[in-house]
Amino acid sequence: MRPFAYARPTNLADTVALLAADGPEARLLAGGTDLIIRLRDGSIRPRIVVDVKRIGELDGEIRQGDGTLTIGALTTMTAIAADERIRRDFTALAEGAAVVGAVQIRNRATLAGNISNASPAADTAPSLLVYGARVVVAGSAGPRRIAIDDWFVRSGVTALARDELVTAVELPIPAGRRGAVHVRRTRRRGHDLASVTLACAVHPDGVTRLAYGSLGPRPVLVGDDSGLLADGGASDHAKADLLDRLFADASPSPRSMRASPDYRLAMLRVLGLRAVRAAVGRLADVERAG
Amino acid sequence: MNGDGIGASPERVGGLARVTGRQVYVADVHLDDVLHARLVGVPCARARIVSVDASAALAVPGVRLVLTAADLPQPIPRFGPQFQDRPVLAVGEAKYHGEPVAAIAAETPDAAEAAAALVRIEYEELPAVVSISAALDPAAPLVQDPSLRDGDPLAATNVLRLHRYGWGDVDAATADVVVEGTYTFPMVTQFAIEPHGFMAAPDGDGIAIWSAIQHPSWLQRVIAGLLDLPLAKVRVFSPDPGGGFGGKQHAKYEPLVAFMALRAGRPVRLVLSLEETFQAVRRGASEIRVRSGFRHDGTLAFRDIEANYLIGAYADIADRTVAKGSYTANGPYVVPAARTVARSVLSHTTPSTAFRGFGNPQQIWAVESNMDEAAHALGIDPTELRLRNLAHRGDAFIPGDTPADGEWRTVVERAAEMIGWGSPLPPGRGRGLAVGLKSGPTTGLSYSTVRLLADGSVVVNAGTSDMGQGARTIFAQIAAQELGAPIEWVSVVMGDTAVVPYDQQTSASRSSVLMGNSILNACREIQAKLRAMAARAEGIDPSEIVVDRGEVRIGARVLPIRDVLIRGLGRLGGELIGIGEMRKEAEPEHPLGGTAAFFEFNCTAVEVDVDRETGDVVIARHVTVSDVGRALNPMQVRGQDEGAAVMGLGHTLMEQYIYDDAGRIRNLGAIDYRIPTSMDLPLLMESDIVENEDGPGPYGSKGMSEGALLCVAPAVAAAVREATGVVIRDLPLTPERVWRAIQDTAARPEAAARPDAEPGPRAAPG
Amino acid sequence: MTTSWPIALTVNGRSRTLEVLAHHTLLEVLRADLALTGTKECCLVGECGACTVLVDGESVDSCLMLAVEADGAAVTTVEGLADGDRLRPLQRSFLASGAAQCGFCIPGQLVSAEALLALTPHPTKAEVEEGLAGNLCRCAGYEQIIEAVLAAAAAELPT
Repeated sequence: MRPFAYARPTNLADTVALLAADGPEARLLAGGTDLIIRLRDGSIRPRIVVDVKRIGELDGEIRQGDGTLTIGALTTMTAIAADERIRRDFTALAEGAAVVGAVQIRNRATLAGNISNASPAADTAPSLLVYGARVVVAGSAGPRRIAIDDWFVRSGVTALARDELVTAVELPIPAGRRGAVHVRRTRRRGHDLASVTLACAVHPDGVTRLAYGSLGPRPVLVGDDSGLLADGGASDHAKADLLDRLFADASPSPRSMRASPDYRLAMLRVLGLRAVRAAVGRLADVERAG
Repeated sequence: MNGDGIGASPERVGGLARVTGRQVYVADVHLDDVLHARLVGVPCARARIVSVDASAALAVPGVRLVLTAADLPQPIPRFGPQFQDRPVLAVGEAKYHGEPVAAIAAETPDAAEAAAALVRIEYEELPAVVSISAALDPAAPLVQDPSLRDGDPLAATNVLRLHRYGWGDVDAATADVVVEGTYTFPMVTQFAIEPHGFMAAPDGDGIAIWSAIQHPSWLQRVIAGLLDLPLAKVRVFSPDPGGGFGGKQHAKYEPLVAFMALRAGRPVRLVLSLEETFQAVRRGASEIRVRSGFRHDGTLAFRDIEANYLIGAYADIADRTVAKGSYTANGPYVVPAARTVARSVLSHTTPSTAFRGFGNPQQIWAVESNMDEAAHALGIDPTELRLRNLAHRGDAFIPGDTPADGEWRTVVERAAEMIGWGSPLPPGRGRGLAVGLKSGPTTGLSYSTVRLLADGSVVVNAGTSDMGQGARTIFAQIAAQELGAPIEWVSVVMGDTAVVPYDQQTSASRSSVLMGNSILNACREIQAKLRAMAARAEGIDPSEIVVDRGEVRIGARVLPIRDVLIRGLGRLGGELIGIGEMRKEAEPEHPLGGTAAFFEFNCTAVEVDVDRETGDVVIARHVTVSDVGRALNPMQVRGQDEGAAVMGLGHTLMEQYIYDDAGRIRNLGAIDYRIPTSMDLPLLMESDIVENEDGPGPYGSKGMSEGALLCVAPAVAAAVREATGVVIRDLPLTPERVWRAIQDTAARPEAAARPDAEPGPRAAPG
Repeated sequence: MTTSWPIALTVNGRSRTLEVLAHHTLLEVLRADLALTGTKECCLVGECGACTVLVDGESVDSCLMLAVEADGAAVTTVEGLADGDRLRPLQRSFLASGAAQCGFCIPGQLVSAEALLALTPHPTKAEVEEGLAGNLCRCAGYEQIIEAVLAAAAAELPT
């Protein structure tokens, strides 16, 4: 690796000041599982790496309050996948976090880092979209909240300004229960990057939200308010037709090594239908359980 | 403890160091004033090197040396086990993506890395051939300079060698059913978890080399030749490799670091990145057309094979893999007429080299897939079709070579029994079976010394490379058994040419047989000395004394060897030394230079579930049975067989190099080159062995470790066919490939499950 | 740019203070500066697990951690598993089951397995497979490694 300077600020104000001063020469280091790889291969060459793990105002805790589940910026995938509240109320996020790399990666990779890296194939992105998450950031202009659908711009690019950093991710706690699932396509059963990653949530009022990643420059959120997808009695054929319309904007890269575009699109349809089926089934289970 | 002797499974000798982190691999060897080396290449498959400007690199603090071809003796030294074609550094032209053009030596890895980025190479990208069709095109650029192929009739082509094997008259043969297909095998890489590492240091007026080389004596010869040194002044230290699989058999960058060390006057260390190992070693890819003729009863009438192997820019040992793999391409079957024409085709790619199976998996993929298609065309059960054609023990199934040396039917029947062949399957599941044959070494020479020390403990010096197959352990077991020492009292010394006598190589699953017999012979020599010692002490004739395993028997008396030894050595102490030699001479008239010392034979049977919507293939059950003669260490045998099976699943289901349009490798490294993880295993893996004590090795053993990889792919493809109806002739069977085949077949149902078969009497076309 | 950072950490129970460069990984520092060569270099992108160590009890790929990040941490490498010549049950179990072939992946496997059993003392086979999925092995096909972990968990060594 090329040498770089290293800073380990202990509070947000100092961090923001550093970022404001160094701008594009600075990179934030949380779990490091994406950053270190890019430092090693030379695709990024920052002057300074700013380690966020000692910032006093940040932590890896998950807190519930005011109808919101707040995931601290330093929360790891392991912690997310294991948290009882997330497993119960944000199942698709727990499932997405559980497949980010293998154990060693999940012990370090943070949710904030995963969404900041903004790979179109990020496995936590579809569920965050489906759950309507908000990203809380701090910067020179003060704290702000960014809706997750506005967060992702394109591959590697988010709505984060140069002098900002993520301090938390907020998930609105639903009034009722939902059925949700995360599914994906990989080249092997062992850990892998996804060629399709998808989350689906079905609500008791018949609304279905789906989000998919790795078929375009950013993960995409779509929804069905008609109640057709959520309808256990509707035919697969009808659902598949609707899904095709919802997925019309999917644009897989022709240059990908992982899967060709036609396979990806076919798998999007297959996974979409399977995810809807699974989510509908989970909602039914939850409703049966009372 | 698991018990000590032959047939028991004592804990691995060297196991303790492996579980405590104390095992020293080549990258763990530290020399105080070492310089760190780094390779520099150009980002092309092929490029003319116009100039190299090292001035900025040399100015980096800590850089001691920047070497290019111009700095080496002229003409540039070349090396290679078959042809002296590979230059120590690229000269004039870089011929594959990753060929080093310059090499840096610096005080720290950081300095070497910084300097590497500052070497200015002016180059002109040239058209490259990276496929068989491109390389065989008459207008294709030549990979190798024809002037280096003096007298070679093929010098103006990219065909390095053409091999013809066979017997009988294929063109005159008649058959009732002919089945034909073309089968492709991808480029894959060994991906040992230990990347290659090399170190060289001036050693007095000679040189010392450290390398995880599988053939230390061979490397010693190569270095001595290149540096014009006597063998006795070249010392090769070969720590146990962290996996070899053939990729560490032959010299790669040892010559380079040797020149650098001599130039710098200091040790130079080069450890490859994983990406660089993918650029350094791989298996030959292939396109193989098989045309087999059968009688209605399923017996083979003829087999006609044309094989093109895509080898790399330099021959390494690749052509030998083509020869050896093609020579036995017909398989373990009795066939009246067979013909194999095989070509080694040069390309601007990573030089292919030895890789477990040594040219056989590619042929077996083709021939066994063809057999499965034939079974369907004939309406004969695939297992029954194998049994009807399998050679029996003693059959000269390859005229002029070693006859069939095992009860191969037993192996097939055992595998079929274990998988429950013929029993009902759950819906959507398919079963497949295939067999694999590989010939063992054709020549060989292994020396060993065994020293029985004064207290009855033993030191074995043997030049085999223990890269995980457990050679150390079985050598210790042999010595322990023959000399009556507990295994903890046996030391096995390997990996230093100054201390260990000559061993030709560690390859072809030879070491149990060749080095094992060598050690056995050395032990027998010690036993003879013990007989003489006991005879002197007892005042009787040595012929009245039997030394068997750990005991000395004189009439009815039985004495432990140790007692006889201590008494016999007397006040001066000492030791008894045995020298063992096991030799398999070359047979110059033989197409391969020698007959097979033994054959490895394996039968693999699998059950798969296929998700038709996604193409995912899950191996529900994997059965592998190998004919091993005698399992010297059953636990190690199982470990090797199951490991080979999973490695075979790698190229069957997920491994392949991916190239861009310019011939550069796109998926270097571990993120996009997929090998099986612990989550990719068959849901149930079962291995078994057939032991008939019918091998030429100690106690009736044969070589093993490659067999269980050989026929994994055709067994899986046959099972996929039964589950889905689709025939796939290209590897790997990735989910996308399987899905696409299912889609294509669904779109053209009339083409489903119909091989290129023609029923009715027919003469093989001339 | 090459100013060094002082760090203080414990490695295998022993306090160490050293100066490291910010761009050096924990893996590099363990092997080169602390001469703990039991932890191995292979893929260097966090895929193969040959570099696995424990940091504050959690298994991580040391190739993806900067050494400076380990300041104040407790690091355990394969060399720190045994207590002198007293092997851990996992180490004994690996020996008894024949889990180590070439051995290069074994330090990482052992460290990952220790972490797995600390969290899940009685894992199912599937849990062991998932727990070790970040440790690639090319020799063994994993079966004997998995059996060794299950045997250690059951506190029964194979006879």
